[in-house]
Amino acid sequence: MGSIIRLENLCVNFDDRFNLHNIEWTIEPNQHWVITGTNGAGKSALAAVLAGVGDIENGTVTGLPNNVGLVSFEAQAELIAKELKKDDADIMDVISLGTPVYEMIFDNCQDPELAHSLVEKFGLSKLLDRAFRKLSTGETRKVMLIRALSSKPDLLILDEPFDGLDVDTLAMLQAHLASIIETTPMVMVLNRFDEMPDFISHVAYVDQGKLTLTVDKKDDNAFNELYQLLHLKTTDLSVPEADPANKLPALDPSQPLVKLNQATIKYGDTVIVDKLDWTIQQGQHWQLSGPNGSGKTCVLSLITGDHPQCYTNDIFVFGFQRGNGESIWQIKQFIGYVSTALQWEYRVSTSCKNVIISGFYDSIGMYTKSTDNQKKIADQWLALLGMKDRADQPFNKLSYGDQRLLLIARAMVKHPPLLILDEPCLGLDDMNRQLVLALIEKICQGSETTVLYVNHHAEDKIEGIENYLGLKKN
Amino acid sequence: MANYFNTLPLREQLAELAKCRFMNSSEFADGVEALKGKKMVVIGCGAQGLNQGLNLRDSGLDVSYALRPEAIAQKRQSWKNATENGFVVGTYEELIPTADVVLNLTPDKQHTAVVKAVMPLMKEGACLSYSHGFNIVEEGMKIRDDLTVIMVAPKCPGSEVRAEYVRGFGVPTLIAVHEDNDPKGEGLALAKAYAVGTGGHKAGVLMSSFIAEVKSDLMGEQTILCGMLQTGSILCFDKMVEEGIDPGYASRLIQYGWETITEALKYGGVTNMLDRLSNPAKIKAFDLSEELKVIMRPLYNKHQDDIIDGTFSRVMMEDWANDDANLLKWRAETAETNFEKTPAGDVEISEQEFFDNGILMVAMVKAGVELAFETMTAAGIVAESAYYESLHETPLIANTIARKKLYEMNATISDTAEYGCYLYNHACVPLLADFMKGIKTDVIGKGLSVEDTGVDNKRLIEVNTALRSHPVEAVGAVLRGHMADMKKIV
Ligand SMILES: NC(=O)c1ccc[n+]([C@@H]2O[C@H](COP(=O)([O-])OP(=O)(O)OC[C@H]3O[C@@H](n4cnc5c(N)ncnc54)[C@H](OP(=O)(O)O)[C@@H]3O)[C@@H](O)[C@H]2O)c1
Repeated sequence: MGSIIRLENLCVNFDDRFNLHNIEWTIEPNQHWVITGTNGAGKSALAAVLAGVGDIENGTVTGLPNNVGLVSFEAQAELIAKELKKDDADIMDVISLGTPVYEMIFDNCQDPELAHSLVEKFGLSKLLDRAFRKLSTGETRKVMLIRALSSKPDLLILDEPFDGLDVDTLAMLQAHLASIIETTPMVMVLNRFDEMPDFISHVAYVDQGKLTLTVDKKDDNAFNELYQLLHLKTTDLSVPEADPANKLPALDPSQPLVKLNQATIKYGDTVIVDKLDWTIQQGQHWQLSGPNGSGKTCVLSLITGDHPQCYTNDIFVFGFQRGNGESIWQIKQFIGYVSTALQWEYRVSTSCKNVIISGFYDSIGMYTKSTDNQKKIADQWLALLGMKDRADQPFNKLSYGDQRLLLIARAMVKHPPLLILDEPCLGLDDMNRQLVLALIEKICQGSETTVLYVNHHAEDKIEGIENYLGLKKN
Repeated sequence: MANYFNTLPLREQLAELAKCRFMNSSEFADGVEALKGKKMVVIGCGAQGLNQGLNLRDSGLDVSYALRPEAIAQKRQSWKNATENGFVVGTYEELIPTADVVLNLTPDKQHTAVVKAVMPLMKEGACLSYSHGFNIVEEGMKIRDDLTVIMVAPKCPGSEVRAEYVRGFGVPTLIAVHEDNDPKGEGLALAKAYAVGTGGHKAGVLMSSFIAEVKSDLMGEQTILCGMLQTGSILCFDKMVEEGIDPGYASRLIQYGWETITEALKYGGVTNMLDRLSNPAKIKAFDLSEELKVIMRPLYNKHQDDIIDGTFSRVMMEDWANDDANLLKWRAETAETNFEKTPAGDVEISEQEFFDNGILMVAMVKAGVELAFETMTAAGIVAESAYYESLHETPLIANTIARKKLYEMNATISDTAEYGCYLYNHACVPLLADFMKGIKTDVIGKGLSVEDTGVDNKRLIEVNTALRSHPVEAVGAVLRGHMADMKKIV
């Protein structure tokens, strides 16, 4: 097999319609890749770059072989367009029949024997004399596949090769591809993970024109997470409804959710928070930022009621002026809360499903019997997260990132008026960050919850959050 | 003042001892209503005082702290605890006269002095509450007739009381009303609301009596909970070192071993703890525990008898009057034991190894739990109470040994428990001297050798049946059911 293919800091422009940005990618001999991502993410573009498509604006591609076989919708469309143009260009009074299929396949064919057997297997024998342009889309696609496979390519690029194939043909094609893996490196674009052939060794994930993740298929964890990410990004499922039986008391829409008046926290002589005024109106998303030690978590715990000094401050939350005989559970019912600290505290040996249900009770662990409807809603959340099959697994055996996803679901399960995400991506690797952000986006789209997003860096913004409070270290 | 229990006729003594009922959660439907808007003033802001107060306030109740003037003037830890958490703090004179409920959460030894100081300041018809009944039962403290006297006793250290509440749960709690002081008949309603305020109703509440609480609490803490663990630690350590086992290893095996093996106890009782052993080791542990039970039963009986008839508290109070001479002497002696002085070695011991190499420790826990439970129930204490005071609390105490050995355990537990623990230890170490002569490293330190792996089926079935049919297992299964999803202590 050939040499290493390297894309370094590559920026490519596709007729100003689409751009790939800063691609860093190495394909070693013996590797077979799948490129995946959501619609419009740039999967096909990245694949096409390997076949020389697009204008390179920056960076380099090295190690590309000369003979690259490409099957894609774009290439197919181009070929058909070319055929139709030929028509136009023909001498006016001779009616052209267009190029017949056998010519399309056997002219310049490197491996006629293989081409013959594939024609047979794809069921094209009867169509060999037909004009290429007269074929159906599925049939032209098969012709493209045969052309590419019998051209003895040094690199084979297949963009959605299985699309529209019937079951038998699909199995045949898969078997054929499996038989050439020793000689032909492949890069496929696939939307669906379940179509991924066994011989695939690596997966690339593309998002908004960037190659954001590459995963070695042998790494089960990473592979599962990528699966989940794609699921979250592409699923039609939306955020499950709240439970009508757990209806929260109605809030007065003219009142703010939270109003801190000159809030101050101090330990002895050390002042952590100094006379902070802050009002959060309903539907007003906020971002709270500040360096470590600036008192972010303290401010939050004044809102949630976890800070003992909330009783010595002037705090109005969810219709309660604090310190007038309300219980913290009356406050907490209006809040969904996720933080790293919560994850540390959540050390109970309970099932994933119960963790979600515990959100109805604002408890860590479950101490009450759950209702059938709560279980149903928890199942819907698990389906949304792509974790249906893990409902009964112990929570503490999950990866750190999956735990975080479940805790976000737990926080959202009751559709709280206020969702507090305290550094939701802290301690997560890139993949899990993307998973968490995908979930947060999904939540922001599909509910009336006001989001309070807390993070370290003011630059890390979430779309749709328009209000900003920055704390400084005292 | 006379021992209150001893003033009662036998008929009433028996009735009080047997008072214990596991309450239904529907009995707490009124929540904290009975205490809403009432002023609760806590005296003392230590382990129980601070943590109960935090919970009560978070349940919407009005809590403040009355501290002794020295504590306020010197800004002691108790003062810091209360002020840093945003509570109002004042002197007795400032706060007690306004109080609807006074929560006495000072050390038991101080109760007589404290109650004498605050009682005259309390308003007519107010309520005085305790978290342990020693002062009423053993010291016979007489409370003003117009005052209601209740007890709400969490069956866990203060830190746990808070941590469980924050998780949305609570700790098992015992409540009682002092019959002689319930002039308005509101004692039970107040005690229930208080238990709800601390979160106890979620984990299970026992409706009991001052007497049953005191007589069972004292018995549990001085025998299995603290005494047995102390005696076991000292004996097992010395034996291992005598048999040539590395002292660092021996120290670690014991310091962390109690915690590990009793974790199994917490999840599935004595049965589960023994099920963690291989079959031959299980039979070995069973046989050892049977032997231990025969040797130690008279000691358990003596402790229970002395507690019931008041001898124990009388002798202890004599020591209080004697400037704690015995307590201080024993405390110093404990600090000088080889186990205490040998730091845990830097060796890795896997979770299973604690069981495999600690067969004797497992046998000691089993013998102690069962003996304490059997002795308490034989003295007329109800099984539920006996369970909480023996098996339930053992893992909580074992955790303190893991933190800082016997020192930490004795520092964490009450003065009363510490005194009783030394008392037990003093009698039990010599009592087990002969038994220990027969002990080798196969049951403590090294584990059974490969040749010992055969088991007789018939014997194994007998052992399994005996384990599972012990009465502490039946009541334990029910009560643990109420605490379904317990925190996994890592
Ligand atoms: N520890 C447990 O696991 C547990 C469990 C259930 C029930 N209980 C019961 O709870 C009660 C309190 O025990 P604890 O463990 O919380 O005690 P603790 O931690 O020792 O705290 C006692 C508090 O009382 C204050 N105090 C001490 N002597 C005083 C005096 N003469 N006058 C006024 N205040 C005094 C201390 O503050 P200053 O010294 O700063 O004044 C301290 O804040 C006891 O009845 C105990 O039996 C304990």
